[in-house]
Amino acid sequence: MTQRILPEIFTDLEPYAGWALTKEAERSRKRQQSTIEEIRAFYTTMLPRMEAVLTHLNQFPLDAMPEKEQRLFDMTLALAEVAPAVELFGKPSEDDVFDVARFVPEHE
Amino acid sequence: MLPRLWKIGSGFIANTKRSTKTCTPMSADFNQRWHASYPELGTDPVPIEPLISPAYFALERDRIFRRVWLQVGRIEQLPEGGSYFVKDIPICQTSIVVVRGKDGQVRAFHNVCSHRSNKLLWGRRGSCQVMTCKFHGWSYGLDGKLSFVPDEENFFHFDKGRHGLTPVATEIWNGFIFIHLNPHPQETLREYLAEVADGLTGYPFAQLSTTRFSWRIDLRANWKIAQDAFQESYHLPFMHKQSLPDSYTSPKNPFCHYFGVKLWTHHRRSSSYGNPDHCPSPLEIVAQRFGSSVVNRTFAMEDLPPGVNPERRREWALDTFMVFPNFNIFVLNGTYLTHQFWPIAPDRTLWEVSTYFPAAQTAGQRFSQEYGKVLLRDVLLEDASTLEATQSVLASGAKTHYVLQEQEILVRHAHKVVEDWVGFYRERENRQ
Repeated sequence: MTQRILPEIFTDLEPYAGWALTKEAERSRKRQQSTIEEIRAFYTTMLPRMEAVLTHLNQFPLDAMPEKEQRLFDMTLALAEVAPAVELFGKPSEDDVFDVARFVPEHE
Repeated sequence: MLPRLWKIGSGFIANTKRSTKTCTPMSADFNQRWHASYPELGTDPVPIEPLISPAYFALERDRIFRRVWLQVGRIEQLPEGGSYFVKDIPICQTSIVVVRGKDGQVRAFHNVCSHRSNKLLWGRRGSCQVMTCKFHGWSYGLDGKLSFVPDEENFFHFDKGRHGLTPVATEIWNGFIFIHLNPHPQETLREYLAEVADGLTGYPFAQLSTTRFSWRIDLRANWKIAQDAFQESYHLPFMHKQSLPDSYTSPKNPFCHYFGVKLWTHHRRSSSYGNPDHCPSPLEIVAQRFGSSVVNRTFAMEDLPPGVNPERRREWALDTFMVFPNFNIFVLNGTYLTHQFWPIAPDRTLWEVSTYFPAAQTAGQRFSQEYGKVLLRDVLLEDASTLEATQSVLASGAKTHYVLQEQEILVRHAHKVVEDWVGFYRERENRQ
């Protein structure tokens, strides 16, 4: 049996664990480098599970989560990152838009 | 084919739940005549020259930025004695170090060594007990006094007491640290902020400032072009038709008209409408359920001080307080954000954006903040591209003036206040 990387009840989300990125710049880079189909697959899988995911994560201290919970939490932040692409733009980012890499995170 | 303006919601969710109410005529209370209240502003087109002229830029440096209180950061950036941050102010060709002493006092100094004027601290922020120059090891205490000079006996008639760092005036208002490059300003910070401070009395800045997300953008545009974009809402239904399809507009107020505008001597305020029938996206619903810090979704007016949303409109979304010359505070219900525009060159600006929240206690609250933060950033990406595009053709000579409409009165006021201080046209007229 392979080693689980997400909490037991959320192993169905493991194909998307590549979105578990800790920094805003990393998450936005993955969004820009993904196709809208890849982003939608992540979004449509995560969305119906979010209620359960956040209810589960809320049981743990925000600054000291177990490793698997931290990974799942980082996936929720990545979901926030891709939400505009799916819900508003229908593409990773709009045409002619400013390069997000030039928005340099200062406090995060 | 429908005009592109109305083709909202091309995304996967297709915004199917968004309002499809029939269009009703704009209600009279969204159609106020602001210019009639400020006849001294006139209604003429506004010249473009101040947005491209190096001569104008030099006057802005000498007559504005060297002579006003400038916001440089928040006290949360200085949690303990020895905490410091460095704030470069390129238009004034200086760098400032802001440091909290062991006595708790916040002080600011030119970040310049007294020996041979090397830039003293090169990092952006940190903590130290003494500030030591890399060049020859001169060291200064947190109070700016020169404390150690290597090989001191080889200097001539030397008195360490006369060679401390050059102080700049420093005052704090609601946790915002301001400096003034004149060490003896003619007015206190409170006097300078005047109506802005009155209006924001009681707003819970301390409570809302424990978490901060910020970005820095090196923008190829004049600082006033950048700031102008945040002083009018006329662009929202066009520029942000994808990102904000129904948050600040509705059939009742399709062009995002303000319902409050107040222009003071230097500063200004506006109150913006929020659509109570805004239809949240699926993930926004999750963010609202698990956190309270997503913009524009709560209407607990009684929790706001009287100077915020002074019109007490139920459909209120936010107030903007524009602090002359370059600091803007956007006050919402449960969060606030700031913009600051630091001129670097006539066509280049350091733009700093921060969004502030109460510290998240749970993963759900932190997720909710991230949702709001990413949406804000994606909205600002739309603004940023236009600002640079504008600057790229501004010097073409194709146009000499801006044409401004009723709802762009804050832009008109901003340009007038800058000119009041700079006097570029006043002096040109006097010469003729």
